[in-house]
Amino acid sequence: MKLSFTGLSVERSGRNILHPTSLRIEAGERVGLIGTSGSGKSTLGHALVDELRTLGQSIAHVPQSPDEALDPLRSIAFHWREAERALGLDPNAARQQELFHALRIEDGDVGKRSWSWSRGMQQRFVIAMALIGTPDLLVLDEPTSALDPVVAASTMTLLREYLSKRQTAMLLITHDLGLASRHAERLLVMQDGQIVEDASTDQLLEAPATKAAQSLSTHRSWLQLPC
Amino acid sequence: MRTLLGFLLRASVVLAATALATFTLLWNAPGDPALAIALARYQSVVPAEVVDQIRAETGLGLGFWTAFQSWLGAVLVGDFGNSAVTGLPVLPELVTAMSYTMPLGLAALAIGMAISVPLAILATRRPGEWLDRFAVAIASLGTAIPAFWLGLLLILLFAVQLAWLPAMGARTPSHAILPALTLGLGIAASLTRIIRSGILEAREQSFLPALKRRGVVDRTIGRDHIAPHAAIPVITVLGLELAFLLEGLVVVEVIFGRPGLGSYLVSAIFSRDFPRVQAVVILTALVFVAVNLVIDLIYRLVDPRIGENDA
Repeated sequence: MKLSFTGLSVERSGRNILHPTSLRIEAGERVGLIGTSGSGKSTLGHALVDELRTLGQSIAHVPQSPDEALDPLRSIAFHWREAERALGLDPNAARQQELFHALRIEDGDVGKRSWSWSRGMQQRFVIAMALIGTPDLLVLDEPTSALDPVVAASTMTLLREYLSKRQTAMLLITHDLGLASRHAERLLVMQDGQIVEDASTDQLLEAPATKAAQSLSTHRSWLQLPC
Repeated sequence: MRTLLGFLLRASVVLAATALATFTLLWNAPGDPALAIALARYQSVVPAEVVDQIRAETGLGLGFWTAFQSWLGAVLVGDFGNSAVTGLPVLPELVTAMSYTMPLGLAALAIGMAISVPLAILATRRPGEWLDRFAVAIASLGTAIPAFWLGLLLILLFAVQLAWLPAMGARTPSHAILPALTLGLGIAASLTRIIRSGILEAREQSFLPALKRRGVVDRTIGRDHIAPHAAIPVITVLGLELAFLLEGLVVVEVIFGRPGLGSYLVSAIFSRDFPRVQAVVILTALVFVAVNLVIDLIYRLVDPRIGENDA
């Protein structure tokens, strides 16, 4: 399913923090949204999740840290069941097993609260939970910045394997050009609340057209990291 | 297991320290304790020989440590001794006093909860609006008003002016309404503030926007995520509320002329009746320790992160 919207903007205390933005994402496409801190990436992420949902599309969002996704007083199983119910789904052990297996969290004790799991497992659980309803688009907001590089890399690899067999598109929001270029085939560069460049990953890495993309490209020594 | 042992150790330290502190205070209070007992016993001026006789029979002449040790030795085998004034055993009196005080305390707590929980929930529907500000104002006022004054006001209004309810005594259940209300309103005032700020704070938690984005509806979020977090500070202050309640019970029982632990304690203090005072203090300390243990257990059940640090 194709996803598109036009003229999405966000204003906060009289200031435009997201200029009118239009975007089209093909089914199964993997898009990276990059930019420096404060460029409006997360704002666009949140706004498009809310906008596309009101347009009736199934969108899932994964925040930066599992602390922003899980209630420390509630068990893992409780969160899972709650997410299923929110989507109007009946409990399905096979679906849970499949997703837990895909993200390598099948060994975790679901009766425990999230904080007794490792952070990597918590974040993979949050991603698994986002995939329950097989959404049209999965928005990942800096999904690995709270994890160490090795765990981050394996998490992204597992997710990519899972998505490669499905029609779910991915929007990866990150300040890390290395991460984005590894996992996305198309990159959007954001600056001051607007998308200033929209190009294929290869093209953007070889010949960045805008200053924002150029500076992200020159400061990407972390491209050599395993993630 | 280790937690239980640690708890028992802490509990015995608290009880021993409380017993010693009360004994010391009572022993060193101005005036001759033997004379106070004699006055309470005979209700008139008595010759010096009688006072000396009382001093000998109650063990007051033995010196502080000897007297404390003989009292403690008896208590450790479950013997709270006999009243120095009436000579009657203390324990049955204590049980009778509790049978008046416990229901009153529980009724006050129930009134406090019945008012504060709905009020706080209503107030936090629209924080900062008139209902919220009204609730905060009433709660601040309620916390500031002392129980003895509120009790007298309630007597003036409901017993004297309107003549709806009895002011003194404990013959019928309706006699308990005004005292329970006096205590309950005070508890409601402080609980309203705690629950209100608990709810407002619970609403600010970082994971709530993600729940909404996952499609969880507001009602479910309120019930399953905000309420448990808001309950934690309430559980914490319930232990303190109990201390407040015990203190209020003494005042309220005296004002309303009710029998019970509070008025029993006050008359025992005036007559320097060591066994009675010590028994009441030990009993209240025990109740306090037991309630705090229960609160601790509930706490761990709601938020197991608290117990983790002990291990």
